[in-house]
Amino acid sequence: MEKIIELENINFSYGNFKAIDNVNIKIGNGIYGLLGPNGAGKTTLMKIILGFLKPSSGKGEILGFNIKESSITMKKKIGYMPENDCLIPGMDGVTLVSYLGELSGMSKQEAIKRAHEVLYYVGLEDSRYRKVDTYSSGMKQRIKLATAIVHDPELLFLDEPTSGMDPQARKDMLELINDISSKEAMNIIMSSHILPDIENTCKNILIMNKGKIISEQQISDLNSKQFNVYEIRLKGDIKAFREKLPDCRIERGEKGVFRIQLPNDFTIYSIFKKAYETNVQIRYFRQSKVTLEDAFVTAIGEANAN
Amino acid sequence: MPIREKGYYKWDGELKESYIKWLPIFINGIKEVFRKKRSKLLFAFSAFPFFVFLIAVYVATKPELKMMKHLVKQIQSDAMLFYSFYTFGSLVFFMILLSLFAGADLISTDLKFRSFTLYLSRPLSRFDYIKGKFSIVLFYLLLFSLVPGILLVIAKVIFTGEFSVPLYVFLSALIFPIIISLFLSSLILMISSLSSNRKFVIISFIAFYIISNSIAGIFQGVFKSDYFLFFSIERNIKQFGSLVFNVKPDFNAPAWISLAILPFLTFVFIIILIVRIKRAED
Repeated sequence: MEKIIELENINFSYGNFKAIDNVNIKIGNGIYGLLGPNGAGKTTLMKIILGFLKPSSGKGEILGFNIKESSITMKKKIGYMPENDCLIPGMDGVTLVSYLGELSGMSKQEAIKRAHEVLYYVGLEDSRYRKVDTYSSGMKQRIKLATAIVHDPELLFLDEPTSGMDPQARKDMLELINDISSKEAMNIIMSSHILPDIENTCKNILIMNKGKIISEQQISDLNSKQFNVYEIRLKGDIKAFREKLPDCRIERGEKGVFRIQLPNDFTIYSIFKKAYETNVQIRYFRQSKVTLEDAFVTAIGEANAN
Repeated sequence: MPIREKGYYKWDGELKESYIKWLPIFINGIKEVFRKKRSKLLFAFSAFPFFVFLIAVYVATKPELKMMKHLVKQIQSDAMLFYSFYTFGSLVFFMILLSLFAGADLISTDLKFRSFTLYLSRPLSRFDYIKGKFSIVLFYLLLFSLVPGILLVIAKVIFTGEFSVPLYVFLSALIFPIIISLFLSSLILMISSLSSNRKFVIISFIAFYIISNSIAGIFQGVFKSDYFLFFSIERNIKQFGSLVFNVKPDFNAPAWISLAILPFLTFVFIIILIVRIKRAED
């Protein structure tokens, strides 16, 4: 497996606040999801990898470039779609994308030609001559993707790519990401709060918490993991039952079925015991399929407990 | 969706290694300023001092034409010609307007729309970004100061039929507008980096210029010392011009002090600008 990103003992602080705490990662080809609660250090880690921030200690290589010495050169091979709205007002779609292509090192003619292609690809062909400041939030997300891929990078960072999009636009965006990924056109690191987006798009996940990488696994391995997650249907005083299990994550699903995730030190027996104590009938019970959210909650819970 | 028809395909071109990485910023900035409303009107007015001096240079070679007597008398020497042209009230005024017009929103808009990320995710350093922005303001300032200065030299050669401009005056005519343009560019870009509000930038720039003149005038009046005139941007420009063109100083104080003040302030403005860009980037 070719190493795309290799970071060793990376640390970074904003004043006294340690945003990145001794991070070590090795990332190969493919598409990776970067997960973590707000303030976990995802964006800071992305900024370090992109060369926007210099780590206070540690070393690393991105696509074979040293992050401290070759941060400018390596950006030629990196595409970045930021989370926030960022655009250059007064420019139309084609001008913005071709301008950023030129800044990446493309010739003017090539940049214009490629700008038309990528705008067509992201579905903005009809709006390419409209000023970007008049775009809707969904269109802004698309044009940010277009600017990130105009120079055909080897590594693409997507920071909350579906943020602010309606369900159809979100589906289209994920389809674009899956298309880029499936053709092995570029390696992708995608950060998102929407766990199903990561689950449906990525092959591998990295979970961050408090500036540390706390879990690194393949999505396909999730099913082999033993998380105490069950689906149950109840009859009786459900509120009282829930109150008896304060440490459990309980979600209401479809058709009155609840998903219960038990802490590791809980057994199935405890569910039945609490049901008995609260005079609740269990009408349906089965072990649930493990989702990314279960893995995420477990990893964060374990990290916080430690 | 086009994706269903075609899908992503790789670009088969090659990214070139450019030595002037900021060139697209410069070219785009020049076009954007030119496309602004009333730009042509401002450019036409900014060329006005050049035409006044062009006529004066012509009249100076034709004593029988009794026009523009005061100005013609003033520009009898080549040094005085360029000193008068570059420190001519309306030229300085238009240079200030051009600085505001070309530079006020160059960085403030990027702050407002968080465009730094777009620039800095490309193979550009923050110095490339600053150089690109600087070059836009410098281009317009030099276009209406240095270029007319060179055209005046050419006009003089054409009207008199000989290259009579001394070398030091010619070099001074090149150096002076460059230093003044660098000073004004660094000032407007520094102020532009302080706020995302364009109006704040414009008001601050004008206030800085006017207040510096007022403070200098008040202190000079109270303490009866010309040294206080070094507080004034306008008087520093004139005093610096008198040193460069070797003419009588604008006020009674060593002119080399202005030579130190203007580059020092330019340096300070650039440092503040770099710090601001770094903070915005973080």
